[in-house]
Amino acid sequence: MFIYTLKRLAVAVPTFIAVLLITFTLTVISPFDPVAMMMTQFEGTLDTLAKEEVIERIRDQYGLNDSYWVQFTRWIGRLMQGDLGISINGQRNVLRMIVKTFPISFQLGLAGAVVTTILGIPLGCIAALKQNTWLDYTIVGGTLGFRTVPVFVLAPLLLVLFVLVLDIMRVPRGWDGLFQSKVLLPVFILALGPLPVVVRQTRAAVLEVFSMDYVRTAKMKGLHMWRIIIRHILRNALIPVVTTLGFIAEGLIVGSIFLDSIFAIPGFGGVAEAGFRGFDYPVIMGVTMVSAVMIILTNLIVDLVYPFLDPRIKIE
Amino acid sequence: MSESSERVSNESLGEVLAGDGALRTRSLWKDAIGRLLRNRLSIIGLIITVLLLISALFGPYIAPYSYTEQDLLNVAKMPSPDHWLGTDEIGRDLFSRVLWGARTATLVAIFTTFISVIIGVIVGAIAGYGGALADNITGRIIDIVMSVPGLLLAALIAVSIKEPVVSWAENVYDTTGFPLFADTTWLDLLVVFGGLAFVSWPGYARLIRGQIFSLREEQYIEAAKSVGVSELKIALRHLLPNAIGPVIVTLTFSFSSAMVLESSLSYLGIGVQPPQASWGNMIASNIGSWSYRPWLVAVPALTLAFVTLGINFLGDGLNDALNPRSKRSI
Repeated sequence: MFIYTLKRLAVAVPTFIAVLLITFTLTVISPFDPVAMMMTQFEGTLDTLAKEEVIERIRDQYGLNDSYWVQFTRWIGRLMQGDLGISINGQRNVLRMIVKTFPISFQLGLAGAVVTTILGIPLGCIAALKQNTWLDYTIVGGTLGFRTVPVFVLAPLLLVLFVLVLDIMRVPRGWDGLFQSKVLLPVFILALGPLPVVVRQTRAAVLEVFSMDYVRTAKMKGLHMWRIIIRHILRNALIPVVTTLGFIAEGLIVGSIFLDSIFAIPGFGGVAEAGFRGFDYPVIMGVTMVSAVMIILTNLIVDLVYPFLDPRIKIE
Repeated sequence: MSESSERVSNESLGEVLAGDGALRTRSLWKDAIGRLLRNRLSIIGLIITVLLLISALFGPYIAPYSYTEQDLLNVAKMPSPDHWLGTDEIGRDLFSRVLWGARTATLVAIFTTFISVIIGVIVGAIAGYGGALADNITGRIIDIVMSVPGLLLAALIAVSIKEPVVSWAENVYDTTGFPLFADTTWLDLLVVFGGLAFVSWPGYARLIRGQIFSLREEQYIEAAKSVGVSELKIALRHLLPNAIGPVIVTLTFSFSSAMVLESSLSYLGIGVQPPQASWGNMIASNIGSWSYRPWLVAVPALTLAFVTLGINFLGDGLNDALNPRSKRSI
């Protein structure tokens, strides 16, 4: 197990370093110039010649004239100390912005993941049990069809439908904790994104388990259908569903980028959206890295937990 | 639906079993088209896709107004005979802008798909033919690209390369007067293509690699090898025709996801810039006023939703039609 963990880490860590490298390189190419930003405070006080000299000195002082690799290692060092830089718009500490908003998004995401599972597993089961009937096609086709309809399309359409057309809810805005009715719609929309993956995975797993001998035995014993499903099929079929956690995490992160501003939720996604809209490079970099860490970590946890769930997977 | 497709596969099985070539023969493609047209959802998908392509090609000629033309006496008006889908917040005709948006979406989707297929096929072929080391290295690269959410990575790339590309083009124009760079709005599109292609090629690379690996084990390939057919000829005559089905299906799906990614970038203000019409930036500029001008959001949103649904239905139908053996194997 120890060696297996090391091996998984040996995959996850270089992946993360490569992500850092890509992020860093992109910002080096990008027009973002921290010195020019600092210079805005001297606007009008210096003549052009003095300005050039000040810029050159600041560049030297902050090591911006050093080679690419020196800068990269220094940047990594700062990251290790939790320094994600200062945002361009509003001069705020990026790490603090993320830390402040993350818990809200985490709760929403968790709720979304729970709803996805609660909806997806029964739907997947039904699709598998009614394989190749209209019900199967409707479930699989319906969720598959929706897999690419983005949040910023679904959210306003559902808002118009529920608030204006059906008039069954007030405009859900803001965040007062997870157990509020206004959270219902955002969570539901978040859950729709990763739903098809869960449905497909459950359906395939149930179909596979369905043909196993022990299920046939249970059927022959005359056990009730639902009892077979819950006791014998689901237990084994749910294991592969765990592998979809990485997709779910990605779906939730991307979903919240659009969702937060539409529902005025002060979350991680809102920080990301504002960063992109304002071309705020430190924020964009911070958000990208935190998202990559989340996904790589989720996949690592799945890899580490999986052998315990499915003893057939050999740990080498 | 299941009965009919079962009957079809039995029928074709019967033909194969009957064996002598005098039998009524149907080509693979005719067979596939037949299966496709028997599926109601894929016909709907096909119609939507054709409508999209028509609007993309002829939209500017069909559109009653230009995408920038403002009717200042009719700002933010509900649908009327003059403006079929109403006008937006600064008096532009919504129907015309939706049509122009179809052109943007299709253009981006076609180019992105094209670029990412080329990269994907090259990388996939390297992984499939280059031996274990090449396979490992390309596999790692794919893992890395896929560990960042596609939208975030594409957005980061677009944000980073946009200004350098534009200022480079302006420099070139200033020094050489190269007429192509006089107007830099099309560079927006180019930047979007670049970002999107960079995040979409791994899917193709994995697909091609998988096809090479699985088809290589087939007996007819082995047979061809044993009689001394060259690798290139095997690749062109046997691998390619057999791999084309899954590739077409993936093409369809990634066409719709490229479209969605483009509108996502445009929604975030990184992609296609106003006043150019993109469904994404049309939704973005009106999302704040959904409660009192719902049609301004609903029209582009519904269009995008219907188009992606339609293309996905078509993809599903193609999947069933081109890979009948893997019928609904998910």
